[in-house]
Amino acid sequence: MKLLKVFLFSLTSIFSCMSLAEVAVIVNASNGNALADSEISRAFLGKLKSYGDGSGITPVNLKVGNDTRTAFEKNVLKKSSSQVKAYWSKLVFSGKGKPPKELGSDADVVNFVAGNPGAIGYVDAGSVNDKVKVIMTF
Amino acid sequence: MKTKLGILALVGLGLVNTAQAEINFNGFANLVAGTTGSKSDQLYGFDDNIDFKNGSLIALQASSDLGNGLGVTAQIISRGNEDWDPTFEWAYISYDATDNLRFLVGRQRVPFYMYSDFLDVSYAYPWITPPEGVYSVVFDTFDGVGAIYNTSLGEFDTTIHAMYGSNDDDFNLLGNDVSPDFNDLVGIAITVNREWLTLRGGYVQTEMNIPVDSLNPLITGWEAAGFQEVADNLKVEDDTGSFIELGAQIDIGNFIAVAEFTQLDLEGTSLGDQDSFYVMGGYRLDSVLFHLTYGYDEAERHNFVADVPTGVAPALDFLILQTSALIASQKEETNYYTLGLRWDFHDSAAFKLEYTDYTDDLNSNGDASLIRTAIVTVF
Repeated sequence: MKLLKVFLFSLTSIFSCMSLAEVAVIVNASNGNALADSEISRAFLGKLKSYGDGSGITPVNLKVGNDTRTAFEKNVLKKSSSQVKAYWSKLVFSGKGKPPKELGSDADVVNFVAGNPGAIGYVDAGSVNDKVKVIMTF
Repeated sequence: MKTKLGILALVGLGLVNTAQAEINFNGFANLVAGTTGSKSDQLYGFDDNIDFKNGSLIALQASSDLGNGLGVTAQIISRGNEDWDPTFEWAYISYDATDNLRFLVGRQRVPFYMYSDFLDVSYAYPWITPPEGVYSVVFDTFDGVGAIYNTSLGEFDTTIHAMYGSNDDDFNLLGNDVSPDFNDLVGIAITVNREWLTLRGGYVQTEMNIPVDSLNPLITGWEAAGFQEVADNLKVEDDTGSFIELGAQIDIGNFIAVAEFTQLDLEGTSLGDQDSFYVMGGYRLDSVLFHLTYGYDEAERHNFVADVPTGVAPALDFLILQTSALIASQKEETNYYTLGLRWDFHDSAAFKLEYTDYTDDLNSNGDASLIRTAIVTVF
């Protein structure tokens, strides 16, 4: 019985860990545009610059090394951190583009997205509030 | 010219500074060491002494957004094989006319090859340097105007890069330090990308005037003998050089493949026309990429003294002999294999190791093997 309790406890903690690790892609609450997964990827690689309604997209990143960012790059951009870095270094050193702005924390990203109608970001699902809209989770 | 542009760019940045605009600094560095396999081997500037300068470089880029689509960028590179003397590799003012159209005015890169834009940023590609056989045009940059247009059709992203300008950077030709004039340099490159597939095509042409001192005795000899046409063929004067590139890249899952073909046409000069290609395949295992490249190069100048009769006069025979030898020296048939790895051991740095086996089909004394290693970084 004691063993079962321990087992159940570990199981719940594993599940809660998993739900904590869920990543949400967020846009401004007023943003009515739909974005396919591939469009989210293209927006963060600087290839897609406006939403379906013609308004500009402003992607915003967490800092390099942040676990949520690493998960986002792996699952949505389908690239490792160093591949993303190599991708942007091609554009930065040839005057063809610059990477999205980086913010220090989930709270900063949520505030930025809440305050900028065209912004798109990603945070731990637990950091989301009602000023932003979740368009994708993984 | 370089210095003038550089000063212009720095003055530009200075003005920005007083206007309290933000200046962004980025940089990259490649530290390369290499040695050939034996005493007689020489390849890509390496010999059998371990060398740390050839291919090593450190670069600093300063850029500032002036607002309303206007920006200023200067990139300074110090190269080991140029005694670390810093030079302005890029120095330009950019203007974003729309989200999809950017103009660059100033010193920038000629879009010859797939990796031209970031030729020196080793961190951005698998090898230590892109295959030397294909990446062999004597200059990489120009002073002038560039236009970059991006458009998307569904998931196909197309970039059209057009340019016009000139280059007058000194280089070495047939053992002479020459001061060339490459004028009316025009080029266009089109790149199409969809997910894992990238296709590219480029065309560049230029007017060429390159005084080559060591050719002067031959040229005056042919002129004195009344063969003005041969003399004109020897000279690199009011000639048009043209360059074609075709490239493809596949990057899917753990697999990467790249191929590039180039053709350099120098008709009307004593220099050889060149055809080159390479194919590369690579496989990623976690943070390590293993790659194998095969490349082939050939060059030739058709014999423009073949119609001149021999045995007419000893002086003429001598000119024919000398000129034929020069033409023959332009012939090249070489190939190489490069086996290498790239290990991303750090967020911003990679370690690279490469072994190249080079074969000269016309002269086995030119055969060589080369081992190179590098640490490359962006910051």
